Amino acid sequence: MRKAVPMLLVLWIAAALPALADCRVHRGDRVVLYSTTDDPSVFIWDSRARLRAYYAASFDEAQAMLPHALVVDPGTHADVISCVPGYVESPLFSQPDDAVGVAITSGPQRGVIRWVLGSDVRTMPPAHR
Amino acid sequence: MKNAPLTRVTGTLLMTAFLVVTLAFAVQGTFETRAQIASTFSHQAQIQQAQIELEELLRLQIDEENSLRGYSLTRDPFYIAQYRQAAAGYDATQASITKMLSDLQLSDVVKLLDSYGKLQTQWRAEVAAPILRNPRNRLVELDKRNKLFSDYETRTVAAIRMALAGEGSALLESLQSQLDRSSYLRAFWVLGFGVLAILFNAYGSRLNRELEQERTITEILQQAFRSESVPLPHCEVGSAYVSATNHLAVGGDVFDVYRLSSTQALILIADVSGKGVDAAVLTAFIKFMIRAIALRQRDPAAILSEFNLAFSRAVGNPYLFVSMFVGVLDTSTLRLKYGSAGHDCAYLRDRGGVRQLAVTGPVLGVMEEPFSTETIDLEPGDTLVLATDGLTEVRNRAGKQLLGRGAMELIARLGPHAQQLADEVIEHVRELGGNRLRDDLAVVAIRVLDTERGRA
Repeated sequence: MRKAVPMLLVLWIAAALPALADCRVHRGDRVVLYSTTDDPSVFIWDSRARLRAYYAASFDEAQAMLPHALVVDPGTHADVISCVPGYVESPLFSQPDDAVGVAITSGPQRGVIRWVLGSDVRTMPPAHR
Repeated sequence: MKNAPLTRVTGTLLMTAFLVVTLAFAVQGTFETRAQIASTFSHQAQIQQAQIELEELLRLQIDEENSLRGYSLTRDPFYIAQYRQAAAGYDATQASITKMLSDLQLSDVVKLLDSYGKLQTQWRAEVAAPILRNPRNRLVELDKRNKLFSDYETRTVAAIRMALAGEGSALLESLQSQLDRSSYLRAFWVLGFGVLAILFNAYGSRLNRELEQERTITEILQQAFRSESVPLPHCEVGSAYVSATNHLAVGGDVFDVYRLSSTQALILIADVSGKGVDAAVLTAFIKFMIRAIALRQRDPAAILSEFNLAFSRAVGNPYLFVSMFVGVLDTSTLRLKYGSAGHDCAYLRDRGGVRQLAVTGPVLGVMEEPFSTETIDLEPGDTLVLATDGLTEVRNRAGKQLLGRGAMELIARLGPHAQQLADEVIEHVRELGGNRLRDDLAVVAIRVLDTERGRA
């Protein structure tokens, strides 16, 4: 019993660490896009570096980056292609957010492949897929 | 120990002053703490109000955007009115928060709020105005700009929220730190006062013990130094003494009425140069030495000569001298023989008035010159009045001395009884000097009673 408790603790920590470093979505997940900011439409970016730069930029810098972004309506569907955990940092985030690579599957931008912020992505319930 | 009373008074004054300062410090600390708490709560309340108004500002901003979105989708002018109402509310609320934050001197937060306002103004010009002009004008580029503004406004509001929350925490931490500092300072102060009070109390107890011992010694010494007079047959004897050193019953003057035999009495009054305890020690020496000499020989001139010799040798201080009146009164014949060594304050009050008794030699301790003896036959009712120079040298408020003539006039009008006369002399001198004596004063009055035995 004395040895079992520390071992269980080590196992629990070992199991928890990858989960902490993991993305909230995975390749192949079907997702719906919407933002939790005042405007629920979502920016999708042509590179994950641009995505990250946008959240660290000043307003003027961000304005200059707009040609590299598309805006999709909230509720647009997409498939997850890849995910980089904790890639996007901002002073306003309590912790770094994921950069998620998606292929848009609905709306005017259908077929477009872009990068989107992890918190703008929600996994669709199986019934809606 | 000489300065113990002074030390004690100074210490008491210092402790009292320290106590007053400590009490004032404690009271001031209480009010200061109250003011600090009140000020912090007031600031905290203002910050909370700013936070509430900030959320209202955000609501108005979203209202503007939603009204614009509604107009863009429906083209219904109702949304234009909603949009304008929200915009007006936004501007008013922003002005109100800016004023509140400026009053709180939160310049960093004011800058953020200013950025927020500029973003909204820019959004109105670059996004809202084109759509209001033409609702069909909802292009992808406008949507992107709208999203950009929205994101940055959200970020700015979040930054303002964090700054206000930080200010609130900083205020509380500052208050806590001020209260801690104030409490520690006052605790140390009061502790310091307590320790000093204990030390002072211990020191005071020690001083009290030493003062008590000193008082006992002083009382014993005063007993030895005190001038004395004894009753004489057929005579009334009165005497009074007052020292220029207020709290001491001794000084540089001495008198002594001492019975040498059943019919003879020694009458002595002397004034030592100087006053206080030092002079009092000499008076004891004089009193007992004159008694000792007078027991062997009754001639006043011889007594003065012998004393002069002994005094010069014993004291050895050329600056110290004594004026002295020595009389030997035969109470059976009422014959008074006296010698006066520079002592001119000796008077006889008889039926003819008051006259000064002649000086018969120089003051003692200065030179070795012969003294002579004078003889007076007293009559019933006569009063011999002997005093020291505290009588003749007393000054009135105008600074004028009484002198010998004034003394004789005074004695002439005083009461008949010996003790009454002595007391009245002292009382008069006190009055004349404004209740302050510059010199010791001794008075001896011997009144011959009107009796048959006085002539025997």
